[in-house]
Amino acid sequence: MTAAFAARVDAALADPVLKIAVERTAGTAEAKRTLAVDAFPDFEAARTRAAAIKDHVVANLGAYLERFEANATAAGATVHWASTAQEACDIVLALCRQAKAKSVARSKSMLGEEIGLPHALAEAGIERIETDLAEHIIQLAGERPSHIIWPAMHKTREQVSALFKASHHAPHEEETIAAMAESARRHLRDAMLGADVGISGANFLVADTGAVCTVTNEGNAELSLVPPRMHIVTAGIEKIVPSMPHAVHLLRMLSRSATGAPLSQYTTFYTGPRRPGDRDGPAEMHIVLVDNGRTRMRREGLAEMLRCIRCGACMNHCVVFRQIGGHAYGGTYPGPMGAVLTPAIDGLAASRDLPNACTLNGKCQEVCPVRIPLPTLLRGWREKSWREGLEPASVRSGLALWAWFARRPRLYRAATATALKSARLMGGGWLSRLPLAGGWTRHRDMPAPAPKSFMDQYRQGRRR
Amino acid sequence: MSARDAILAALGPASGDDLDRAAAALLIDPERPPVDPTQLEETFAARLLLPSVAASYAAVAGFADVPAAIAAYCAEHGLPRHLCAPPDPRLDAADWSGIDRHLDPAPDEPLALAVAECGVAETGSLVMRTAPTAPMLPNFLALHHVVVVPRLVAYLEDALPTEPMPRGYYWITGVSGTTDIEGTYVRGAHGPRYLHVIRLISEN
Repeated sequence: MTAAFAARVDAALADPVLKIAVERTAGTAEAKRTLAVDAFPDFEAARTRAAAIKDHVVANLGAYLERFEANATAAGATVHWASTAQEACDIVLALCRQAKAKSVARSKSMLGEEIGLPHALAEAGIERIETDLAEHIIQLAGERPSHIIWPAMHKTREQVSALFKASHHAPHEEETIAAMAESARRHLRDAMLGADVGISGANFLVADTGAVCTVTNEGNAELSLVPPRMHIVTAGIEKIVPSMPHAVHLLRMLSRSATGAPLSQYTTFYTGPRRPGDRDGPAEMHIVLVDNGRTRMRREGLAEMLRCIRCGACMNHCVVFRQIGGHAYGGTYPGPMGAVLTPAIDGLAASRDLPNACTLNGKCQEVCPVRIPLPTLLRGWREKSWREGLEPASVRSGLALWAWFARRPRLYRAATATALKSARLMGGGWLSRLPLAGGWTRHRDMPAPAPKSFMDQYRQGRRR
Repeated sequence: MSARDAILAALGPASGDDLDRAAAALLIDPERPPVDPTQLEETFAARLLLPSVAASYAAVAGFADVPAAIAAYCAEHGLPRHLCAPPDPRLDAADWSGIDRHLDPAPDEPLALAVAECGVAETGSLVMRTAPTAPMLPNFLALHHVVVVPRLVAYLEDALPTEPMPRGYYWITGVSGTTDIEGTYVRGAHGPRYLHVIRLISEN
């Protein structure tokens, strides 16, 4: 394990409030998803269909992107293409300058986080108004999202209250979550209505109409995107769906998997800029299609990961995420999907710990609405890390030693028999300390070995 | 090479299948929560009461009855008879005496009226589209949002536009809400805190 990752995990495990905060939200999400899935007959078949829709799109992605581009252009939007995060940020900044933007209202977008858009806007001296309540909270705290649906999941109500009191012009007086949300509503509304540019991501890009779909519960996307002169969309190229009915199927899966609702409160399809006679809407609409490693993922064995619709169910159900929260992962995307995506985006050398921070219990794959084989993809990264020699010398030599014994069965059995004997000498029941494994036994006990090993019993059984 | 050319080159040619036929095959008999077509009114009204939707509901005959329904809603909630309403000719034809209507929403607009294209029994969604007679912003600024629903359909698919897409096509499924602080549900996050549906029974 790298020192940086170990330090982040240690900090997360030692944080007295983090686990409470994560548990409150992830636990609720897990329970609500279960109810929603139980109320949907054929949910398993619906997952299979959702996976097939995404596979079809990924297999024909070039053709669908060209189709989307043609239809969005026909509707009056301008489509831009970016191979890298830097190119995408440069396009957005150039558009903001063209619009002479002093402030931009941003509706939560994980792709925006992935390409470093908040940082790029700050560098360019453009005021950024995060309008999603959770993004607003972490903007005030100067932090990064810790979950893709609930970016401020790691914050308790007490921490949010302190942040709002320090920065809102007329903060809440009553210490309730409703009063805190009301304080943010008052604080953000004027800022949103005064923004020069609205920036969003996309939940879906609809190829046959050129529409861009956003999904929110708060209505902040619409309030951020309708008043300004310009609407900029940044979207990953894998967000394409062939048509509106395909989007409908995936929306049914998305909301149930994310929040347990049959549908999120606001599902909006934006097709081009303001039309003649319209009383509101932006004069310009720009869509930036971002690759940032996706074509390489498709080529190099990670096409299944491009099915992901960013619902967050995998992390809500992950035993590791529930212990350490999202920040310990160190990337834009946490949890199981993040452990697959981060090595593809940031490089395996910098993130080889993430595929190892997994028990392979398979829960993520069971709840994934598009059936991504996350454990298989994580194992693929482990194997690649080994092949490329990224594992540290201690792990390599330890495994080499084990392999040397394992290929010599008699010697191996003699060695394990000796080890078992000495472990039995240390006492029965549970062992609270083991030589060379102090790190493991610091937090838990090891069961003492049974009086007879499996091999002993097996041999006895054969003799009978 | 431009980014566009680089991305398309990296993706290579399509699989060679007939795209439209393959895409259509993925939609045959889709799984969805069952809706009894003979019970659309009851199902829709029940969906509006779900905690995540949390809308109130009134049924009247037609557009001519909308002003009276608005007056009743204002009385119930202690609101002045003063609302932001779209320039929709079907509304204009009604008798609005005693109710003050304006077109442009205030930043803290207390009450806005809109006409939905239809309601969806599957989810309790209100299907909206922008047009010169249907602005979008008032529907998100208002604290109280009242929506007239002239027609019902069973499923979301039944509500999809058949003609070219309007600029904004959107489904409202409940009041603005958030669970961003400790997963606790709060209504009225940025948009309306109250949603009231006026169902026009005889328009269907």
